[in-house]
Amino acid sequence: MSEQNSLTYAKVNEDVIRMLDKPTVKWLALFLPVLGFVGFGLFCFLYQVYTGLGVAGYRHPVFWGVYITDFVFWVGIAHSGTLISAILYLFRASFRVSIYRIAEAMTVFAVLTAGLFPIIHLGRPWFFYWLFPYPNQRELWVNFKSPLLWDVFAVSTYLTVSSVFFFVGMIPDIAAIRDKVKEVPRKIAYTILSLGWKGSNWEWLHYSRAYLYFAAFATPLVLSVHSVVSWDFAMADLPGWHTTIFAPYFVAGAIFSGLGMVITLTIPIRKIFALEDYITLDNYDGMAKMIILTSLIVGYAYGTEFFMAWYSGSPAEWGQFYYRATGDYALFYWIMVVCNVLIPIPLWFKAVRRNIKALFIISIFINIGMWFERFNIIVISLSQGFEPGAWGIYKVSWVEMGITMGSFAWFFMFFLIFIKTLPAISISELKEILPVPKKEAKHHG
Amino acid sequence: MSQDKKGGIKRRDFLKIIGVAGGTAAVAGACSNPAEQIIPYVIPPEGIIPGVPNWYASTCRECPAGCGIIVKNREGRAIKVEGNPKSPINMGGSCAEGQAMLQGLYNPDRTRSPLVRNDLGRLEPRGWDDAQKILTEKIEEARKKGGSGRIVFLSDHNEGTLGNLIGDWMSALGGKHLTYEAYSYEPLKEANRIVFGIDKIPTYNIDKTKYLLSFGADFIETWLSPTLYTRQFSEMHGYKDKSMGKFVHVEPRAGLTGVNADEWVSIKPGTEAVLALGIASVIVNEGMSVNGGGGFEGLLGAYTPEKVSSVTDVPVDTIKEIAKEFSSMQPSLAIGGGIANTSTNATETLVAINILNYVAGNVGRTIDFGNSLTLSGVSTFKEITSLVDSMSNGEVDLLFIYNVNPVFTLPKSLGFEDALGKVPYVVSFSSFMDETTEKANLILPDNTTLESWGDFIPDGRVHGLIQPVMTPVFNTKSTGDVILAVTAGLEGLKGRYTQVSYYDYLRDSWKQVWTGVPGGGDFEAFWNSALENGGFYSDVTPVQVSASGNMSGISFGEPEFTGDGDFYFMAYPSYKYYDGRGANKPWLQELPDAITTGVWDSWVEIHPDTAKKLGVKLGDFVKLESPYGTIETQAYVYEGIRPDTVAVMIGQGHTSYGRYAKDRGVNPLSILPVSTDKITGSFAWLTTKVKASGTGRHSQFVQTQYTTTQHDRDVAQVVTLTELEHGLHHEEHEEPDFYPPVEYDRYHWGMSIDLQKCTGCGACITACYAENNIPFVGKELVAKRRDMAWLRIDRFFEKSDNKAGFETRFLPMLCQQCNNAPCEPVCPVFATYHNPEGLNGMIYNRCVGTRYCSNNCTYSVRKFNWFTYKLPDPLNWQFNPDVTVRDKGVMEKCTFCVQRIIYAKDQARDKGRDVLDGEFQVACQQSCASGAIEFGNLKDPESRVAKLSHDERGYRVLNQLNTKPNITYLKKVKWDKA
Repeated sequence: MSEQNSLTYAKVNEDVIRMLDKPTVKWLALFLPVLGFVGFGLFCFLYQVYTGLGVAGYRHPVFWGVYITDFVFWVGIAHSGTLISAILYLFRASFRVSIYRIAEAMTVFAVLTAGLFPIIHLGRPWFFYWLFPYPNQRELWVNFKSPLLWDVFAVSTYLTVSSVFFFVGMIPDIAAIRDKVKEVPRKIAYTILSLGWKGSNWEWLHYSRAYLYFAAFATPLVLSVHSVVSWDFAMADLPGWHTTIFAPYFVAGAIFSGLGMVITLTIPIRKIFALEDYITLDNYDGMAKMIILTSLIVGYAYGTEFFMAWYSGSPAEWGQFYYRATGDYALFYWIMVVCNVLIPIPLWFKAVRRNIKALFIISIFINIGMWFERFNIIVISLSQGFEPGAWGIYKVSWVEMGITMGSFAWFFMFFLIFIKTLPAISISELKEILPVPKKEAKHHG
Repeated sequence: MSQDKKGGIKRRDFLKIIGVAGGTAAVAGACSNPAEQIIPYVIPPEGIIPGVPNWYASTCRECPAGCGIIVKNREGRAIKVEGNPKSPINMGGSCAEGQAMLQGLYNPDRTRSPLVRNDLGRLEPRGWDDAQKILTEKIEEARKKGGSGRIVFLSDHNEGTLGNLIGDWMSALGGKHLTYEAYSYEPLKEANRIVFGIDKIPTYNIDKTKYLLSFGADFIETWLSPTLYTRQFSEMHGYKDKSMGKFVHVEPRAGLTGVNADEWVSIKPGTEAVLALGIASVIVNEGMSVNGGGGFEGLLGAYTPEKVSSVTDVPVDTIKEIAKEFSSMQPSLAIGGGIANTSTNATETLVAINILNYVAGNVGRTIDFGNSLTLSGVSTFKEITSLVDSMSNGEVDLLFIYNVNPVFTLPKSLGFEDALGKVPYVVSFSSFMDETTEKANLILPDNTTLESWGDFIPDGRVHGLIQPVMTPVFNTKSTGDVILAVTAGLEGLKGRYTQVSYYDYLRDSWKQVWTGVPGGGDFEAFWNSALENGGFYSDVTPVQVSASGNMSGISFGEPEFTGDGDFYFMAYPSYKYYDGRGANKPWLQELPDAITTGVWDSWVEIHPDTAKKLGVKLGDFVKLESPYGTIETQAYVYEGIRPDTVAVMIGQGHTSYGRYAKDRGVNPLSILPVSTDKITGSFAWLTTKVKASGTGRHSQFVQTQYTTTQHDRDVAQVVTLTELEHGLHHEEHEEPDFYPPVEYDRYHWGMSIDLQKCTGCGACITACYAENNIPFVGKELVAKRRDMAWLRIDRFFEKSDNKAGFETRFLPMLCQQCNNAPCEPVCPVFATYHNPEGLNGMIYNRCVGTRYCSNNCTYSVRKFNWFTYKLPDPLNWQFNPDVTVRDKGVMEKCTFCVQRIIYAKDQARDKGRDVLDGEFQVACQQSCASGAIEFGNLKDPESRVAKLSHDERGYRVLNQLNTKPNITYLKKVKWDKA
């Protein structure tokens, strides 16, 4: 980490904790509009509950639309967080250190956002708890054959594990903040959150063991959760959904989109908080390489879908994919292909991978492309099922747009609170990779 | 009371506790819906057992066909209309209009009490006594003026007691009784008079024919008696014992009847006479005539196929082929006289058709003059026009309007509306505020058919009796009663009618029917059996006729067209709205048109080439301009119409007639001239050439099906006669399956649908709406495909090697009740599950609305309650109490009328046995006039449905997906040989 040579233990503490200073006007200027959008999203949802799901854009036979797209999108975003924090931790990939906290926070908040959508999209959301297997007098039980139920478990498990992992990783850092802050309420809060961390050898011994186990425990979830989400579709009969490649295809897509989101989020933070020393071009270079890999997998999956549709000889399968590329939603299909397959191609060049502006633009397009990928899979497949007499076209409504915007605002609301209250960069892990200070320090620190 | 002394809980206290508890529950549940009150009968009325329906037989009056109906009454409310199996007309079947009668009865826009126009020109409600007093005064006023014919009673075709009463009443008042039907078929009787000397509309025996040739007779839609002929057509055209009849339809446009034909022959408008003579000429010249030409040789000689072809645009080969088949496939039948094809030479056309039938030997075999329609007796168009003249000249002082809406159904150019304004006093008995009634000075709303006593005689066989099936919904009164009551107060007429009520009058009149019946027995017994059977049915002996051969004065010339546009303009009667009277029933508005699948609106059918030329596409507004007016409506591009013709349906375009009809679509009658048939002077509908142009405006064409072809999915399958002759490889091996097959104990419900018999008329859809409390959602929501129909009819136009170049396939699509249902495993809460009798149960209360079941439904037959649909009072009185009314957020779908299954099982259990085959019918099956749908127990190998499930034509839709549906479709059969 040549570029971090100028950093010292003390500077790390100072810089990270500096981010937690009193909210600036700039922060508020971001936070208040975000709250406004959350409010509007909430209004849309309540309006929908009161009036009926008809205010969304569903049209027979397209019974899932933007809400499930949002759900898959946010679950996908969540993935790279765990990937960066857990898998790369196990592989000892040092470029993860400066970004993993942000990525983990992103995971938790994205799952929190994703988890709303299965409820928002219900016809009778006030009965959402019927999807949980709880003992009741009516002796009603849930159907474990349904992939939707698997979703319930997958998402709730993922939320639990990623939250715990997120929190455990922060304990030493919170203790460091606790030691620095002076205002009484904050002091109390951080004292409680730090769980009495003292930094003793004994503590570190157990802590690093535990962290390793959590990392090992979270790792399979990266693969399993999105596989389960993909089975919502793959388990159905519908042409365009019923395919075996969905699990790896979705996992790759999730990592792809998650990395895109990490880049989208870290670049402004890096700039605003002047963290160039921490989140380095090397970090971005590493992520960009993974984007190339996952983009290739996703592109390959697009091709495979077409090949299999043709090779199957099924008019329904082939009709579906022909329709995707040429039908009513062709624009969305080609947006997806361009954003996910073509736009990442420049990343093959090192100069682009290390160009922050280019990365930022590409990452935005990846986010857009991946949203449309989910939209295309869900909506286009449903539009033309087996029975041509029932075909129909979906049109998104303002309520769905409002709730989608609200969900982004909801996510950013948590994120903005996070960077003002918790250490956005891991102090302890960063120190691990810094050169150990010499006894005769050259400069004061 | 004694209970009080005993202590314990008092009744009143109990109620208080219940009240508080209920109130708490209501508060707790405030975020969902308020609890509904269930009010029990305090004193149950006699003869009503809660939960047990009463059925009343009656007669349908939605069109002049006079089908028998039976009406289900639950707890005092009529909830379902079905065809009366005992009626020789419809034999249990019905049409969508008949099913929708209930929405006339419960229409929220009915006139709820007598209305009198006050000095300010506003209509204000009055009591019956007041209203009748006003009527008496007005009659006396008119009588004092003297002169005959100054009082006119304009009613619909009302053959029977009421018609006689009105006639008698008018003669007592010195007035005139005219019966007006928009579709009066005058040329039919005139042509019969000319050729056979009988001035009647006969009944046709389509069921006995092997070859049916229709010259624009839309007998599946509106022609004479559509349910009767649909039933007969299915007899004739259904595949049975390795054979079936052939049906060729000649019309410039292929409507619902045309698309059901084996061959649709497109003909130049108005030239059918020439084609009929051409065919007859070939038959006679080639020696194929049974009577050697019957004296018509001279006439026919001039009609060589080549000449006919040049006039009619029908290829020579087609003419020869039809002639050959028409004479060889005996008995055959040619029919004509469809309203949409009535040109200025309508009578000549029908004369030519009569000649064709005569030379082929069909008269007396497939045409029955013994049993003629009473429709033959309605007033002629000449009488109606002369009425309009005398009204304009101020020669009519008092006009009674009964069940007709001439302002709407007469062409605007005739000026009825203006003439109406010149009549000093107009009295309407209409139940609805239609365009004519709106102009009346006094409105005395009649009961609807379902609330009144009456009778109707549609033809020689049927004396249909009408009985009230429930007490009147509103403060309305039977017109018969009004006439009797008013007459008693008129000077010099006090004793004319001895009966106090119209009911007595009706019974007295039926005594005459009774005395005419040999061995009629006791009158009460006769009366009761008539009530039970829906009337009195008798046989009529056929009348033999011979042709006169004297065709002098008939020129068989070219039809005349007014207007200088490029396009022949067809205004065709609607099988949903008839002449417009059905338009106020939301079920009919929401029933997709069989051809376009359009709803709640009008459209103009345009050939693709023409559309290209005009630069319009589906949904573009097109302006149609005749010298008499202009209409603008959306284009439907359809290859089943000639490039030189455009067509608009009659029945929409109301400016009044209630919220469901008003301001919807266009009325093609507003641009028609008053052209008449040259011989009879009856109104001719096809006489205008219009200019058509795109307006540049476009909006979504609201329809229920966006596709027109099957996209190679082969869901609606056909088989050719040759293939059937050689025997089909009927594969019936079990598909390999991961799971063992589901075992059923006593019942395994299944259905079969014969696509050869299905005409696509949609009666089943409306029956399903009525039976299962399916809400109508309106045009705006259908535009978003939110229609709730559990049963839809997919229609596909497939390329074909027939003369039209395309063939139409109808595929009724409903829940297939799969044995291996994709919907079941994906529901996370078990709201849909497999029931022990092979049904896919749907538990509304358990549904949370993930809609996964619908996404995974191979057939996309599930519907979702996007909103809570509320029906305005009293439309909701029609709800079937055996079926849950669904709330927003839950899924629903066809249940195979599970409530009927349960009822039948209950009945059978009381008798200690299993349900017998055919013991009950599901709603769609019951309504189907062509008998395309069978339902029953697949477990019983002797049941009809079990046998049909192994039929050689049987297939299951999308069977390759291994869903194992319980519905077997029987392939449509295609003629592929001469």
